[in-house]
Formats: sequence, C-alpha cells, structure tokens
Amino acid sequence: MAELPATPLLDDLEKGPWPSFVTEIKNAALHKDSCKDLLGQLERSYREKIGHWKHGGIVGVLGYGGGVIGRYSDLPKEFPGIAHFHTLRINQPSGWFYTSKALRDICDLWEEHGSGLTNMHGSTGDIILLGTTTDELEPTFKALTDVGFDIGGSGSDVRTPSCCVGPARCEWACYDTLKVCYQLTMDYQDEIHRPMFPYKFKFKMSGCPNDCVASIARSDMSIIGTWRDDIQQDDAAVKEYADKGLNIQRDVVGNCPGQCMEWDGEKLTIDNDLCRRCMHCINAMPKALAPGKDRGATILLGSKAPIVEGALLSSVLIPFLKIDNEEDFKDLQALVEEIWEVWGEEGKNRERVGEFIQRVGMANFLEAIGLEPVAEMVAHPRENPYVFYNQGDDEEEDK
Amino acid sequence: MAEATKRVTDIGPPHYEKFLPEIIKKNYGTWKYHEVLKPGVMVHVGESGDKLFTVRAAGARLMSIYRIREIADLADKYSGGHLRFTSRHNIEFLLTDSANIEPLIAGLKEIGHPIGGIGNSISSIVHTQGWIHCHSAATDASGVVKAVMDEVFPHFEKMDLPGKLRIALACCLNMCGAVHCSDIAILGVHTRPPKTDFATVNKVCEIPNVVASCPTAAIRPVTADGNRTVEVIEEQCMFCANCFTVCPAMPMNDPDTDGISIWVGGKVSNARTEPQFSKLAIPFLPNNPPRWPEVTSAVSNLVELWAANARPFERMGEWIDRITWPRFFKMAGLEFHPEHIDDFKHAGLTYKRSMHLVR
Amino acid sequence: MSDEVSVEEVADAMYKQIADAQGLKKLKPGDVTKMMRELYGDRVDKKLCKLAIRILIESERCVYTYFGGSYIELPPKEGEEK
Repeated sequence: MAELPATPLLDDLEKGPWPSFVTEIKNAALHKDSCKDLLGQLERSYREKIGHWKHGGIVGVLGYGGGVIGRYSDLPKEFPGIAHFHTLRINQPSGWFYTSKALRDICDLWEEHGSGLTNMHGSTGDIILLGTTTDELEPTFKALTDVGFDIGGSGSDVRTPSCCVGPARCEWACYDTLKVCYQLTMDYQDEIHRPMFPYKFKFKMSGCPNDCVASIARSDMSIIGTWRDDIQQDDAAVKEYADKGLNIQRDVVGNCPGQCMEWDGEKLTIDNDLCRRCMHCINAMPKALAPGKDRGATILLGSKAPIVEGALLSSVLIPFLKIDNEEDFKDLQALVEEIWEVWGEEGKNRERVGEFIQRVGMANFLEAIGLEPVAEMVAHPRENPYVFYNQGDDEEEDK
Repeated sequence: MAEATKRVTDIGPPHYEKFLPEIIKKNYGTWKYHEVLKPGVMVHVGESGDKLFTVRAAGARLMSIYRIREIADLADKYSGGHLRFTSRHNIEFLLTDSANIEPLIAGLKEIGHPIGGIGNSISSIVHTQGWIHCHSAATDASGVVKAVMDEVFPHFEKMDLPGKLRIALACCLNMCGAVHCSDIAILGVHTRPPKTDFATVNKVCEIPNVVASCPTAAIRPVTADGNRTVEVIEEQCMFCANCFTVCPAMPMNDPDTDGISIWVGGKVSNARTEPQFSKLAIPFLPNNPPRWPEVTSAVSNLVELWAANARPFERMGEWIDRITWPRFFKMAGLEFHPEHIDDFKHAGLTYKRSMHLVR
Repeated sequence: MSDEVSVEEVADAMYKQIADAQGLKKLKPGDVTKMMRELYGDRVDKKLCKLAIRILIESERCVYTYFGGSYIELPPKEGEEK
C-alpha cells in the first residue's frame, strides 16, 4: 500500500530546480509507513506553523552516552509511525570520502532498521540516520559495526571531529587534516562515546586559513593550517594571470591586508616578513602562488554558537605547531588533555571552554594549562589600566 | 557462546584511506594547482602531472537511501565508485577520465541534481533539522532552504558573482549550523517569553538548573500554591530558549510570534580580512510556509544588491565595511530598528565611536 | 595510595549518590567523580572513577541522560515524559 497522505503545502516544494527534500521523504514513504506519518506531521506543521516533536528523550545504545538523539512525536495517536523516531549520528570518514559500496552498506542497513531517511551530513559532520524506534537501536548499531562504522558524539562529550579535504585533494593543505582528524577520533573514542565533560567539545581541522570547515567559528579547538617561510612564487605564471586579464594591482595587491606586495606590471614582489598568511593572493592565482614549504598549524581555542553566554570565535593559543610526526602529535594531545583537565575540573555545568576562559581570564587559564603568554594571542594588548599586577612570591622565597 | 555474541564498540569510523581513489593515494599531499574549468567542474593537477576532475552536484542534505543508491550508481558508472561530500552538503564525484564529465552531468540532471557551487557562486545552504526533526525549531529548515535556493538558483549554476557568497540557516538560537559567520544567515527566532508550566516545572526539571540556564538572570525561583516553581521576569527575557533546552516545562514555540531574522556580513575565511560575525539586517520576518516569500525576497534582494555593487573578491561583509552600515541600510531599503542595537555583553564596542560617517 | 578501593566499591558508592540525588539534582559524570574524591581522597583517581561509571552504565544500573547537557541517572521507563 503506497497511499501517501495529502500534502498540498509540501507538494509545492517539489517544484523548482533545487533538489527537493519532500520528494525524498515521499520516495521513502513508498516503502516505509513511518515516512508517511512524517509527511503527515510535517504537512500539519506547515499548516499550523509549529513543530510537533516532544522535548528530548533518554535513549541510546548500551554503554554509550552519546550519538543517539531521542525523538518522539507530540501527536503519537495521529502519527503512530513516528511515535518514536530517534536519530543516530554515525561518525563519518575523514574528509567525507566514500566508495559507492560503503554508501550502499549504510543504505542497506538503514533500509532494514530505520526510516530510510538520512542527512548527508549533519552540521557537525556525522552521517545522520533519521528516524527509528527504540528497539531498532541496538540492531542498527550491530549492523553498523559489522560494516565498519561507529556512532558519533552528542551531549557533553567530544563531538565527532571533522576536517576539510586536506592533502587528499588540495594543494593548500598545510598539514594532513585527514590523518589528524582520524587519529584524534580514534584516540578519543572513550571521550566521544562517554560524556564526561561540563559540556560539548568540538575539534575541526582546516588545512589552510581559508578554513573550509569553519573551524574558527564552530569548534572548541580549531586546528588551522599555515606556514612560516616564504610564499612559493612562479613569476611566469603570475605574468600569465596578468596577461589573461587579472587586475593584479587592484585585485591582488590592493586587497593584501599586510600591504606587503608590489606589482610593477612585470614582476610581483612580496615582503614575506609582513605577509599575514591570509591566502587571498594564493586564492586569486592558484597556479602562480602557493603556501610555503615549512608548513604546520595554528591552534586556536574557544569558538561556539550563542548558547549560553554569547557566540565566540576561537583565539590563538599556539601560533605555529608542526604536526608531521608522532612526536608532534603527542605534543598536541598533551595540550588537549591539559585543557580538558583544567576545564573538566573547574568548568561550570554547560560552560564551553571558550566561556570558561572568558570567566576566569585568559592569563589565568594559560597559567593553569602551563602555557606562556605570547603577543600572537591577542588582537592588541589591554586598554584598561585595572591590572592584576603580579605581586611576586617574596614571602614564599623567604622560606 | 559468549565470545560470539560479544558486542563490538569503540571502533571509530573506517579509515579514510579505504575510500580514496588510486589517483589520490598517488598524489596525496603533492597536488600542484587547481583550475575551475566551468561551473561545477574543477581539475586538480599533481606534481606528477596527473589530473583529477571534480564534478560538484547539489544535494538536499535530507536524502533517502533510494536517492543515495542512485548517486552510488552514477559513481560506479563514471568515477570508479569514488565520491565525497563537502562541508556544505554538496556531492563531489572524483573522476580520472575527463570524457566522463559530460555523461555524468547528464546523468545527474536526469535524477534532478544540478551542478555548480564552485568559485564565485552561491553554494548549498548549510542548515539544521527544523520541523522535520527538532523540538526547539522556531521555523522549518529544509523548506526555507529549498525556497531560497530555488530563488537564487542562477547564482549556483553560474559563476557570476563578485566573490563567494555563503548562506546558512539555523532554526533556533542553538545554531546547530553555527550560522553566525555567514555572508547571509537565516536564523529562526522566538519573540515571546516561555509559557511556563508552573505546576510541572518542579516535577520535570531541577529549578537551580533552570535558573542558571538564563543568560540574563530573568528566571527566579518562587513558590506558588505551595509548589516550588520558577517565574520569568519578562522584561529581562530575550527569547533565547535556553531555559527550554534544559526544561521542557518552559515551552517557547509559538505559531504566530516565531519567525526568521536575517543577518549579514560574516565570514570564516581569513582571505583579505579577518573572520567576522554576521550582523543583524532584518530583525523579524514571519513564518509563511511553504515558500516563505518574505524571506526569499529579502535574501534575493541582499544578494543582488551586493552582486551589483561589490568589487571583485569582496565578500558581503567587506563590501558593507567599505560603504558603511548606514549606507547599506539605505541601499537595501531596510529600516533601522531598536533591535539592531546590541544590548548584551560588550554592546558598547558596537557603538559608532568615530566621525567616519558617509553621506 | 593506602588501602586500595575496588572499582566495584566505587561504583556502589556512586550508585548510592546518584540514587539519593535522583529527582533532586542531576549529576554529571564530573560531579560523581568529585564526590568520590571527597569520599575516598587520594585512594581514587579519575581513571578509577571512569571505570566505575562504565560499570554502572554497562550493567544498566544507571543510564546517561541529556537535558541540554549530559547526566547520569537511574533508568527511566521508556517513553516516559520527563
């Protein structure tokens, strides 16, 4: 029986050139009763201009405290197929690379155990399996691990780390984002699955300052690639861009935030000491310019969306860190764990690490994690003269 | 047999190397440059001389397994079964044979997936669950996105804009989509205080948690009819819904007063200027399903205004910073309301503290 | 460490705290860990507490719950509205 509910409002969203989510739900509804009820409830939401999902719910797979979002309809009598309609977050592979087989594996198990609806992908980066019943959670989890996948994070845990395409397909990748993403994910499985923090903690890895995964805006720890030697420059290729009509003076030199470039109509000269590594000139002439060869990453901390105390961008913690080998990686992890220790101990309920730093002060935070302050950490030094001068530890020294 | 039924846990995701095509394994970390060949198609060239072609197609984010199988079929046919997704829900096919590009594009068109979103274009809208799956949504997500993308679609298919334009949508202030650094952010908002269910607060929530959840200290514990409960000082409530997040007895959703606000000028890229937050352009537009005409026309107007006036490479926020905000309001035909002036933390830093004013 | 505390003993002590707090205060894993350190001093460390939590969860004596943040509580009835 493939009788779909009447959905005059939603039907309108099947028109137009952009791929339609309504068509997707309808396709699934031909096979799954739950999706019929989802269509029915959604049409009702469109009519009444209000959502029809209950608040939260306590479901999961045994042993894990994250990765499953309980969801119940507030109209279960009218829409019994979605009385329970829980979501699973599935940890995506680094860089969102798949083979058709891997996708089919996920499709097959979700056809058997769930609604057949997904998000490719959710905002944090996971594959989202949208809608199943409580008794299907364990079987779904078993089927997932059988094909080599695992559940991601939710709640007060390490959220599923995500990264840009990195060295797999980008000449600008200043470190191996896929590897660092994978390694952090594997090393922190316990922290992903078993919430133990004051609130969530997100990692995002971008290979260069273009920041394709919006790491600086939406991860507690932003790891963003950069370099510290000179921009690699191919003068002939620069000339070629000019010959093809790029206005190098106005659009490249004129947009340089460090004003560190000159163009005489033939040759581009860069004062690399004043280069801010913003990526603009490289973006404008990818065949002619490239990041330097001494590459690494800047570690920034603290970004988040508004809830609770207002939105924050991450700020610089380590201006330059090599992440090439195991040793480098251990340095990074030692830093991460030191931060968790301090924030885990002193952070208030639902306080993100960025908010925690705002509350206790960056200088105090640095002291607690054992990091020396450096000028790169601030946009500018303080303007206000109410200074907590260090009064020294004369007394202690007397002892 | 206990051994046979042992649960497998903590295996993490599959190793990404399993999914990389040979050409990527071979040229990993040694790509030399890339070029956009035409809208939706680019080539990456390795130091080795190898060429990897990428075809980027629109995705709806919400996809059925039946659709994903069709996409997998196309990957099998044209890209050796290799594909990836982008951080903005696009689908990218990874081809080694340029002869497969056009047949793949034709195949995608046949199943309703246009290509584009590369270079100076509008890419897919990062968004959240909305009424499809969330309890705290102040608006739908997928429906608004579909309506807006239909409206601005020519800019997805063509690279006819001064620079990149990134739109994002979050259906409430929780901002699962972290939209707060987008050229145009579409944000679902509540505009009335919670309708506190006084009798049940104490049964379903912990009062200290509810009190602590409020960023403006507008919630205080009280006793009513012998019950411990909470009350909201309504003048102090700015409708963030954080209390509802920790306590179901503080519902916020309202069909008449929930709606959408529009924010502009944010970016995450460091190119030229530093990353910045989006700023409020339009405080409130009504929820008007199924196509949210007020929202689509507001977004479309902003896009066209920027497209007509920005310099090459200039993002929305860079353009507005150059022309100044008062001029932006004038050019966009937007009224300036009390809501545009910040009154939360550090609000004073957003006041105009100079004589740099244009005519 | 003086006389050792077994992980089972810590788990039982945690369970008692969680049961006593049920309906009064939601406890986070970090909260029960702090309580155990108050109770046992340096005879317990974070690692042991983590293990004890895992025992409670995997034996289904306790469950993780979520209300804006993650907590540990006694198991509710399925579908029961909190």
